[in-house]
Amino acid sequence: MITFENVDVVYPNGFKGLSSVNLDIKQGEFVAIIGLSGAGKSTLIRAVNGLVPYTGGTLTVGDTVVDPRNKSKLRQLRARVGMIFQQFNNVGRISVLNNVLIGRSAATPTWRSLIGWYGAEDKEIAFQSLERVGIVDKAYNRASALSGGQQQRVAIARVLAQDPEVILADEPVASLDPPTARQVLGDLRRIQQDLGITCIVNMHHLDLARDYADRIIGMRGGEVVFDGPTAEATDSVIEEVYQRSLTAEDVAAVEVPVKLDELAPAADDDLHAATADPAAGGETGGKP
Amino acid sequence: MTSMRQQRIPPLVAKQAGSPEVTAVVEPSTSAGAPAAVQRPERPRPPLQSYLLLALVAVAAFAFFWWTREDTSVLFIPLGFTTLWAPQWPLIGFAVMLAVLVLCWLTRTGAMAAFGALAVVIMSYWAGASIHFLDRIVEVPQRLTTGNTRDQLLGYLNPDWSYLLFSNVAGTSRPIWGEWLITLCMAVVATLIGCFIGLLLAMLASPVSSPNKATSQTVKAINSVVRSIPDVGWALLFAAFIGGTAYGLGALAAVLALIMFNIGIVAKLLGESVDAVALGPLEAADAAGANLVQRDRVAVLPAVMPSFVSYSLYVFELNIRASAALGVVGVAGIGGELSRQIGRMSQGYENVGAILWALVLVVLLVDLLSMWIRRKLL
Repeated sequence: MITFENVDVVYPNGFKGLSSVNLDIKQGEFVAIIGLSGAGKSTLIRAVNGLVPYTGGTLTVGDTVVDPRNKSKLRQLRARVGMIFQQFNNVGRISVLNNVLIGRSAATPTWRSLIGWYGAEDKEIAFQSLERVGIVDKAYNRASALSGGQQQRVAIARVLAQDPEVILADEPVASLDPPTARQVLGDLRRIQQDLGITCIVNMHHLDLARDYADRIIGMRGGEVVFDGPTAEATDSVIEEVYQRSLTAEDVAAVEVPVKLDELAPAADDDLHAATADPAAGGETGGKP
Repeated sequence: MTSMRQQRIPPLVAKQAGSPEVTAVVEPSTSAGAPAAVQRPERPRPPLQSYLLLALVAVAAFAFFWWTREDTSVLFIPLGFTTLWAPQWPLIGFAVMLAVLVLCWLTRTGAMAAFGALAVVIMSYWAGASIHFLDRIVEVPQRLTTGNTRDQLLGYLNPDWSYLLFSNVAGTSRPIWGEWLITLCMAVVATLIGCFIGLLLAMLASPVSSPNKATSQTVKAINSVVRSIPDVGWALLFAAFIGGTAYGLGALAAVLALIMFNIGIVAKLLGESVDAVALGPLEAADAAGANLVQRDRVAVLPAVMPSFVSYSLYVFELNIRASAALGVVGVAGIGGELSRQIGRMSQGYENVGAILWALVLVVLLVDLLSMWIRRKLL
């Protein structure tokens, strides 16, 4: 479905984002990409729909070779490849429904977009997408009035309105609290399986990747350093990807509900730290 | 992290367990093994050399002002054995400059900031002296109370409302208040057209929403040219091209002038709003396969809509005000009537006064209205 053949990305400032990446992602796979910040996860995802133009090798989506220079072909490709972002990237001042209808842009004549008059069919698709993510009741609310989890669902609905073959998700749950992150990712996984959409997702949290993905790709320094089914992504393998031992933060995305009295000492600690903070700040500030 | 801080710096007031009324003050550095507390740094003193250099600049400015002065009044400074003299105003200016430098030094202001303060003093002295600002402004009270000015002022303060409400424009059967209506209509038409074109140009001018860099640079250049010609300039141009009131086209010339004026303002202000728009939704629209026009419509326009409405209302206000000034070049509306009344001012100022007061009132009303609309919309 998506094939990387020796794909390189060199940014205009000379930074090497990807170096000779070879991947073959199959139809209907849910792939999680893990790696530290700057490992090239975002670059890899954005290369697929041409948001970041790749500079070497061949990148194919379906039968189409991605051509970053051909803008109209790129638009045709992007119509088939939806994308979800960490910061949701909804337009805050317009309604949820209109946000979802942005996903219909490629299928809508420009003049219709211009006067904001979408056809009944487009609206039907938009409503179906909203029903799929379970926020159809918010259709006429302003997007900015929604909570983080709901906003990300709007973004997913926008992508679904494109009727995509591929969904790219760049840290889709990194701005959400852990339980919401699980719900949103669960929705994405369910929809992806229902519709047979190929899904590539960047993630911070290892356990989320393990729980939801079919396949895990580990990246470091712009290279793919691990690629295998989720079962093979053991702790030692991931430590190899991260080049350090795993910490609690890598794994724990959702803690077991903590009792209040267990929380109390920690809160007390924080209070003291806050009292001592000005002095500590002055101290560190004085050091060369 | 927090626990490390805990160890290094114990809380200043430690509550003893069991005896809550006893509080012990713990000194930060008494606990053994704790690293020595680092002294809090003092604000660094700026280098003396740079301040000496600034003093030299002040001396140079003093010499320059002495040399170029037109006021020859001199200040004598008796020292007992001899009497020094210096030109009065340059010396006062020099004293202010030195005072600023001393103040900056005492507050340990950085050399660059001190230079800025000194530059402000020098510039204001130079600019004020060039137009004899102080000399003229002290004459104002005297001017206000004598001769022609006094009559004028009294005329302004006793406006002739009956003229404004019941008279006709000289030599016609059109009532004066009809001119207000024309002014209002001119402002409405000019605002609608000017703001719409301004919106398009703003979109083309910002690199965020324009097709390419060349377009954005070109449109920006055009905007600068449009903006560099003042509203009165445009009115003169259009009055020359298509004729003024004499040909019954005064309103058209004024509207065209206001449109150009509005395009300049809206394209500039809104272009900056577009520059500052959040790029995330744009990327989302791109990723959904939207073309440029669609992206600008669905992602950029909603984001700048509040600014656009706000600027449009502001421009509407400006248009009401500007149309009064445009009358001077012979275009229609209340401005034309105002300029006619100014022409016959030797017969009394009551009519001009009435128009000016009414203008204040109308602009105030428009301001209130636009504030209300803004509140409702945003």
